[in-house]
Amino acid sequence: MEKHDKQSDHAPVHISSYRDHWSTLVTLLLLTVVTVVISVFGANLAALSVATALLIATVKVIVVAYYFMHLKYDKKLYTWLVLLVAILFLAFTVLTAIEYFNR
Amino acid sequence: MEHLSGFVLPNSGHNRDDEASKMGMWLFLFTELLLFGGLFIVYMVYRMLNHEAFLLSSFELNVTLGTINTVVLLVSSMTIAMAITAIQKGDKKTSVRLLLTTLGLSLVFLVIKYFEWSAKIHHGLFPGMDFYNNLPKGEALFFFLYFIMTGLHALHIIIGAVLIGVVVHRTRQNKVNQEKYALTENAGLYWHLVDLIWIYLFPLFYLIH
Amino acid sequence: MTAVSTQLSFFDTRKGLFSWIFSVDHKRIALLYLYSLITFFLVGVTLGLLMRYELLNPGKDLVEAKTYNQIFTLHGVIMIFLFIIPSIPAVFGNFFLPIMLGTDDVSFPKLNLLSWWVYIVGALMALSTLVFGDGPADTGWTFYAPYSVKTGTNVTMSVLAAFVLGFSSILTGLNFIVTIHRLRTPGMTFLKMPLFAWALYATSWIQLLATPIIGITLLMITAERVLGVGLFDPSIGGDPILYQHLFWIYSHPAVYIMALPAFGVISEMLPTFSQRTIFGYKAIAFSSLAIAFVGYFIWGHHMFTSGMSGTARFIFSMLTFLVAIPTAIKVFNWVATLYKGSINVQPPLLYTLAFIFQFMIGGFTGLVLGALATDIHLHDTYFVVGHFHYVMFGGTGFAFFGALHYWYPKIWGRMYNITMANIAFVIFFIGFNMLYFPMLIVGLMGMPRRYYDYLPEFHLPNMISTYGSWVLATGLILMLANLAAGFFKKGPKVGRNPWNGITLEWQTLSPPPVQNFDRMPEIPLNGPYDFENKPAIKE
Repeated sequence: MEKHDKQSDHAPVHISSYRDHWSTLVTLLLLTVVTVVISVFGANLAALSVATALLIATVKVIVVAYYFMHLKYDKKLYTWLVLLVAILFLAFTVLTAIEYFNR
Repeated sequence: MEHLSGFVLPNSGHNRDDEASKMGMWLFLFTELLLFGGLFIVYMVYRMLNHEAFLLSSFELNVTLGTINTVVLLVSSMTIAMAITAIQKGDKKTSVRLLLTTLGLSLVFLVIKYFEWSAKIHHGLFPGMDFYNNLPKGEALFFFLYFIMTGLHALHIIIGAVLIGVVVHRTRQNKVNQEKYALTENAGLYWHLVDLIWIYLFPLFYLIH
Repeated sequence: MTAVSTQLSFFDTRKGLFSWIFSVDHKRIALLYLYSLITFFLVGVTLGLLMRYELLNPGKDLVEAKTYNQIFTLHGVIMIFLFIIPSIPAVFGNFFLPIMLGTDDVSFPKLNLLSWWVYIVGALMALSTLVFGDGPADTGWTFYAPYSVKTGTNVTMSVLAAFVLGFSSILTGLNFIVTIHRLRTPGMTFLKMPLFAWALYATSWIQLLATPIIGITLLMITAERVLGVGLFDPSIGGDPILYQHLFWIYSHPAVYIMALPAFGVISEMLPTFSQRTIFGYKAIAFSSLAIAFVGYFIWGHHMFTSGMSGTARFIFSMLTFLVAIPTAIKVFNWVATLYKGSINVQPPLLYTLAFIFQFMIGGFTGLVLGALATDIHLHDTYFVVGHFHYVMFGGTGFAFFGALHYWYPKIWGRMYNITMANIAFVIFFIGFNMLYFPMLIVGLMGMPRRYYDYLPEFHLPNMISTYGSWVLATGLILMLANLAAGFFKKGPKVGRNPWNGITLEWQTLSPPPVQNFDRMPEIPLNGPYDFENKPAIKE
């Protein structure tokens, strides 16, 4: 049976360099340090700390998805789908949170 | 599938299609995200209802070990991403080495997790134990969520490690090579997901005080 | 490696049980699903008939209160998880999606087989509660906490069965999405896909993104039962309303897993039997996506009387009305398709028309329930039972049987007795409406649901309803007996295109060969329902 190679139907594959991977890791580690420092030494900023921690975590997740998971170089479709899932989950949490805030 | 004589469609479902396997993996990751998503909603609601108890309980967790595990997972995410770069460049030897490094780091993660869990279990904090049953409701919920979420996450680490083991084997057999590395990519995607979930678990359990 | 002729039908390539239950051919898997689904459906129907018999007269007729509760739980679990969620996607989606796209299989054929096996394991787990443990669950199919945590019946097994069945649903959805993205025939863009494929695409996204939430929720119920953690039981610190939230975050979108494929089937049958293009192709296609999307945000309307906060009830009620818009768009377009068409009255069209009529009743009563004030009065009455049977059975059920009549000649290459099918349809239709319309009335009168008994003043409508159930069963038996002919290879043979349809499945042999097409399929010039430029089909 004739095999049609589907790899040929899109642009040449982008190969990330080792160097890029190292810089991504350094960024992620820096963000980790920031979030731990805020939490351990900034205890008096209690109200801020959860929001900042989640914000930093989200930035880290975006970095991982964009570079390590290759979203930056893949078809845009994947980025849109990831956004769709994120919006959906956010809607679930917001609607649930509205309910409990108003009990 | 039988070998077919006569007419065969050009867009057959039995052709090799790397893009399709990648798409399938992404869709599977979405289901994983929402599986954990359900638990995150439970966490959010009970944190809203038991604010103080969640703060107090989080002091019981060891920030140092949590941080080390975060670093371990981040590094392992980089090594598996590099393994893909290596196989794309046709460097199978380096790819296998990097995959084995990732595998080693996953073991480090699990060992640290094991010590954390056994310390908690030693204190009787596992659901169903006597000490646990006498905890105030808020604390009990915190530890239940801690065990079920990190437990489910650890299960995913184990599955990911097995998957990486398969990739190593296939690469050595030359079934994964410079022209055909969808499996390495998919294992990488799966491993990054495990990392992503930990990125949220870590601050929510260890850093909220 | 045996060489298989292009002309040989998929029934004839290989023989024997194992060639079926381990087949990776999407057509064989579809039929495996069909036979298992019909079996479970008949079990569910039997349980339903038992319930209706119990309700024939006030007081005890047949079973004890607890047995009745177990019967209605099992009826719900079987009909929802084993029949109606997989029904159209797993049978007709599996069989016809690849053919309509002009390809020879789904993207992951082995995964497809796996999802059937997972389905069978889940089904056996659900049915095992009849025999093992302390009897089937008596909680209702929703497994509401805290009762589901406290009852002595075998809830754990039922819940795990639902969890396993969820996996099967996810795998099917995943497979269809990738298939639609990757395997369309050259020239078939998204906007040249048949509407059935669009409906399945929207459905698959719901299956994929909603099912995991119920999975984890059901696991938490199990954990609570086994470990005694106060997750949902208020007496040990949990919040029962949270369970309902998580349950309906899945189960409301799941309503559209059941309804959307039916919309797709209807959108296929109407153009064929009107012999003209569908009215508003894009509107129907995009309204499927809109329903899928909006459907995620309205789960709270199942919980208006559960003690949710007032603000949330208000928001959910508002959002609920939004979903009526895309649904109405579809109905208007269907009716407009019939206008000035050359209508060919055949059994599938009869089911289609019954679908539109009954689904409208279901939809309008749904709006009554979506309105906050009326829902408070009607929520725990038979009005709700009538409403969802009109949507699920009068809608999806009728679409399923309509699809069976529509694609029957393509699947088996033979025609059933059309007069007999028409007679069975009339009896089925009358029985259905006799069975469920009185429920709407007793509901408005205030008869509460879920009880095995009722006050004497509700006697007459309940009697009519029970008699209706017998008429319905008669119609069903006649219909299935008539259709069984194909299974036993009876009935006159048909050519490629007995209904004069236009989508790609009518260009191939009936039954199709293993690789689906014996020559390259041709797509019509201007979209999938372009009857004016219909490619000529040579036998």
